Amino acid sequence: MFTTGFKFFFGIGMALATGAVFYGYTTGGNHMGPLSMGWKGGIGEHLGYSLLLGLGVTAMTVALFLVFFRDADPAAQAHYMGVEQIPTNSLVTASFWPVVGAFAVGTMAIGLVLHTAVFVTGLVVCGVVAIEWLMDGWADRATGDPEANRALRNRVMAPIEIPALGAAIVALGVLATSRILLATSKLGSVVVAGVVSVLILGIAVLFARKTRINKNILAGSVLLLAVAVLVGGIVATVTGERDFHPHEVHDAPHGTDTGEGH
Amino acid sequence: MTMTDSPPAANTALAAASPRVVGLFDALTTTDHKRIGRLWIRSGLLGLLAATLVGVVLTIENSNSSPDDVFGGINNYFQYFSLYRFGLVLLVVAPLFVGLATVVVPMQVGATNIAFPRAAHGAVWLFMIGAGTTVVSVVSGGGWGALDGVTGAEQDAIALTLAGTGLVIVSLLAASVCVATTVVSLRTSGMNLMRVPLFAWSMLVAAGVWLLTLPVALSNLVLVYFDLRGGPRTPESFGIAEGSNAIYSQIGWLVEQPQIYAFAIPVLGVLGTIAPVVAKRRHAQHVIAVALIGLFGLLSVGGWSQPWFQGDNYDEKFVFIVFGLFAAIPVLGSIGAAADTIVGRGSDGDPDPGADVGGERGLAGLLSVYGLGAIGAALLLLAGTVAGLARVIQPWDLGDRTTVTSVMNLVLFSAAAAAIAGIWFWAPKIGGRELPVSTGRLAMLDVVAGAVLLGGADFVNGFLETPAFGYQVAGSSAPLVAEPSNQGFVEAMNVVGAIGAVLIALGALAVFAAMAKAMRSSGAVDDNPYGGQTLEWTTSSPPPPGNFSEPPGRVVSEAPLLDTVNENGEEA
Repeated sequence: MFTTGFKFFFGIGMALATGAVFYGYTTGGNHMGPLSMGWKGGIGEHLGYSLLLGLGVTAMTVALFLVFFRDADPAAQAHYMGVEQIPTNSLVTASFWPVVGAFAVGTMAIGLVLHTAVFVTGLVVCGVVAIEWLMDGWADRATGDPEANRALRNRVMAPIEIPALGAAIVALGVLATSRILLATSKLGSVVVAGVVSVLILGIAVLFARKTRINKNILAGSVLLLAVAVLVGGIVATVTGERDFHPHEVHDAPHGTDTGEGH
Repeated sequence: MTMTDSPPAANTALAAASPRVVGLFDALTTTDHKRIGRLWIRSGLLGLLAATLVGVVLTIENSNSSPDDVFGGINNYFQYFSLYRFGLVLLVVAPLFVGLATVVVPMQVGATNIAFPRAAHGAVWLFMIGAGTTVVSVVSGGGWGALDGVTGAEQDAIALTLAGTGLVIVSLLAASVCVATTVVSLRTSGMNLMRVPLFAWSMLVAAGVWLLTLPVALSNLVLVYFDLRGGPRTPESFGIAEGSNAIYSQIGWLVEQPQIYAFAIPVLGVLGTIAPVVAKRRHAQHVIAVALIGLFGLLSVGGWSQPWFQGDNYDEKFVFIVFGLFAAIPVLGSIGAAADTIVGRGSDGDPDPGADVGGERGLAGLLSVYGLGAIGAALLLLAGTVAGLARVIQPWDLGDRTTVTSVMNLVLFSAAAAAIAGIWFWAPKIGGRELPVSTGRLAMLDVVAGAVLLGGADFVNGFLETPAFGYQVAGSSAPLVAEPSNQGFVEAMNVVGAIGAVLIALGALAVFAAMAKAMRSSGAVDDNPYGGQTLEWTTSSPPPPGNFSEPPGRVVSEAPLLDTVNENGEEA
């Protein structure tokens, strides 16, 4: 149940936390201050108390981390799998969710500066990554056979993933295209709409004709798109919003429609 | 945690879980720690090249009396000055060591992979995104504050710099958890903490200190972010909007002692690992070296020594002085222990029976790239900690002088030199090929000699009452360029510093040249070409997925390979 690493760090954490309380009371702490981190009373000398308690809490956090994520414990892993020998190869299969998660966190950080909608987009993607990551982690440990694990994971997640991904692609495409149409002139918007239509048709034909697409090309395209979104966000932040020049409404007699400003 | 099927035999079934990785798709989805580590190392080396080039321009600018000609204003100079400092710590030294640790530490402790490989992979990508955001935002007018007041678009760019820096710190924290957990929880049978190789041990200590202190930096960033966005609403406001170096002041402790030492803890681990290899015998003082690395880690905890907690005179506090006075001791002790190993006759007084495990010996070993690098880096670190010791001697009043810059440059380039030495030493395991020796020696000599000139010039200038730039702009009442007592000599020393910076940049270029040369080379590499004594040298070069074709046997000492060699120098 409790791994060696957990015992080691939890022991250190408890000793340091106890030391912090002792230090607090011996350096002027009063009432319940050292026990309640200053909520009910003084904690004594701040620096030493903070250092000791900070170290203690960090150690205990690491301890909890170790006991919750038992995949970092080969003995526990072997016990869980019901095998005598500790596995020689990693159970953790390849996954693109860490990279997606990194871009999602990056999007959140940029969104914090740029626009709430960008931040929320990043947050939503982070939520999706968390669920997918958890499912991958669960499937990796389901059986000792990686192929069976993969099939099991897909059986649970594919009915959710495929419609959701399709909806997201359509929504993103519509949103991006609408922004472009709004930013270009009347003639430009017609050209853009035509190009986008041809692109959609072309990609659909490509998908229909090729049953298998090179994974590297697909990954490269997705990576380029993600980088483009981030770079676009950074550039937009740095350059700021473009200037708006609203039509001026000249003074006109009441009840007179000049036709300007519309 | 549900068992849905009876598991087959672990070894055969799990072999399929780590397929050979090729192409971009596999690079984006890999959970192989070697591939993840290589990404960290490449990012760090790219950062090294960029930072050293910025350093060259800064030092050349310093060589004349007005420090803002090239940059077109004191504010721009301030931005690149900050980028150089924070860049060296967060975008060069930390990722280089994290990369080395990600590749090497799991093999050193006999693990098949790093702990939480997906988190490790996510961390390196988060690092690259954060680093890119930081650099682009600084170049575009952001940075860590603005001396001439913050305007609309500039505020966004500064906020973006803060966000990018935060991402970098979060990524380093995630990577630290992976490395530390690997050492704590994935050690092979028989490897207690006293038998952990010194590099792995130093990374455990470093990761622990980073986990303790980098969240403090993150908190500083959050505070100044809210202040930047919300304006001066409280008495504790930093006054960022009005124009100051307040943001730099809040996180400047990252590049000052004692925290700066935290990024050089692995220097002692690299020295402790390479010294026995050069000497062809066990480390003479392994247990003492373990304790000294731990002590150095303790003395490098620096989140508390900053204006937020201690006020502006934090460097006059008793604890700060004590940390500064004692930091040189574990470094000196580690160098002594390494010297005892190289010059002495082994821990038991007799020549080690494992002396014939291959590799260069004696002077040739010392003159190898990794030998030169490990020793040079350790001596640089000693010089840095001694400069730090001088800084805390109150009657000398060096706290706001260029001595501070000297400590930073000496310590950080000591760390960079150690990382380069590590890359050369573990190259067969990192990339499956050896790196060229002649170019490596050139790079190493350039970096070490350049760091001596750069750090030495600032150290001397500190005694000539030359104020450090960060302190010059800290208070609005202080003059931006103070008159030193001997202006001519100070300028001459600045030229020496500039020569040092150029040498370091040439060293960084030489590293890239060596890597390019190695990429073109082909041919098999021995499993253990240098006579390494730890578990990573028991596997092939490059190592297979899962690292070991067979699980390592029970470890009974800190040098398992010497345990398998009998008294005749043959494999047991």
